[in-house]
Amino acid sequence: MARYVMLIDSGVCMNCKACVVACQQRNHVPYGLSRNWVRETDSASSPCGAAFQPGACMHCDDPSCVRACPTGATWKNRDGAVEIDRSRCIGCGSCIDACPYHARFRHPLTGTADKCDYCRGSTPGQTPACVAVCPTHCRIFGDADDPASDAAKALASRKAVHVIPAGSGARPTLAYLDATTPAELPAGSTGSRLDAMRPLARGVKWTGGLVLAALAGTFVRQLVKSSEKEDEELERERRNAEGGRDKEDKA
Amino acid sequence: MIRRHSRSAIFMHWFNAVCWIFLLFSGFALLAGDMQPVGRWWEECWQGLFGDRGLLVAHLAVGTLWVAVYALYLVVFGRREALPFLREVTSFDVKSDMLWCAKKGLWLVLGPKQTRKLGIDPALPPQGFYNAGQRLVAVLAVLSSAGLAVTGLVMGFCSGASEWAVSESVLQWCIFAHFCCAGLMAIFLPVHIYMAALAPGEGPALRSMFTGFVPESHAEHHNPLWYAALKKNG
Repeated sequence: MARYVMLIDSGVCMNCKACVVACQQRNHVPYGLSRNWVRETDSASSPCGAAFQPGACMHCDDPSCVRACPTGATWKNRDGAVEIDRSRCIGCGSCIDACPYHARFRHPLTGTADKCDYCRGSTPGQTPACVAVCPTHCRIFGDADDPASDAAKALASRKAVHVIPAGSGARPTLAYLDATTPAELPAGSTGSRLDAMRPLARGVKWTGGLVLAALAGTFVRQLVKSSEKEDEELERERRNAEGGRDKEDKA
Repeated sequence: MIRRHSRSAIFMHWFNAVCWIFLLFSGFALLAGDMQPVGRWWEECWQGLFGDRGLLVAHLAVGTLWVAVYALYLVVFGRREALPFLREVTSFDVKSDMLWCAKKGLWLVLGPKQTRKLGIDPALPPQGFYNAGQRLVAVLAVLSSAGLAVTGLVMGFCSGASEWAVSESVLQWCIFAHFCCAGLMAIFLPVHIYMAALAPGEGPALRSMFTGFVPESHAEHHNPLWYAALKKNG
């Protein structure tokens, strides 16, 4: 099974944003929204005074968006991509809130979550638009487990750097080559209202289980010794006792 | 024999039972990851049967049918059956009802002899048309049904590409409330099924959910207040 990754040499990015436009065009992303971005950071060491860091969905391992989705509409594919099944997505936005990279948005036409899918939805099997269009070839996409691929060669010869929002615990698969600025992202809110459903689901599971066990126990108890028969025995005893008292009174 | 349930009430009871069991089972199978209350096997079992998309469509279709039939029932029988039912199930006598629930629990778990040994009189407080347990579950069922219907319709028809699509925040609250209502009923439904169908002495009551009639002796023993009211009214 392939393990697809996106690698970015942000040192050669010149912030032309061709990747952003190409992605919008190929994936019909509505105006004003984008599946990818180029982050600008002031940098004295850069000739133009700014460092550029292209980014998109990080296709994380153990992704927080997948954990946040209540309907299983988003999942981590075995080939490394984080996918969305739009037919199961009701657009609750829980995954959008949960992504520490803010890589997701709600598509205004479909009403479902949207993000980078390596252009699989629009042009399956083809090189992603952002990779194909980059004039400085700063992006490399491929199977990290295929030694012949450019991605595997880049990973073997250069250092892979992951940019992680502080405190998020994210495990991105998108890597920057050698170095990138910023090296870390600030912490942001990644919670959703549905976080409370996890302990609630455990509560339902345990309480429901205990109730079923108690009912099963009561069912067996009633099979062995019926409370109704005990009632009848008590009633007979009461009548006998009353009968005995009557006889004593008469005597 | 005394008539206890009308034909329409019997139909709605069994229609409700079938829809609820399907919706509860399929609804839990729609949840994923840590929000799955049963287990991954449950999710895979149902999705294997209906397919990923099919399960959601089936859940939504049966849910919509359930709401539509109930709405029709309320329009036609609202005044004659639904309102008297609501009045009956919401008439609580807290002290007596709590005593009934506690004593009924002891009666089932320990039995009357053991209960008496504990120094507690096992005799249950007299009950009306519905006993305290039935009234408690009925109130929870009515509230949960209303919550499930409203949030279900919002999620089904006011989401995605719908022109009435609500905000993400509203949808998240709807999912949460929908799950709370379903979770509550998942806990109380088995209790109702046991108490109505399997508990000793409930045979005539169960049969009345098919025939509509209970023997006079059963009503006199289980629902003495209702029986007395019937006698009084002739």
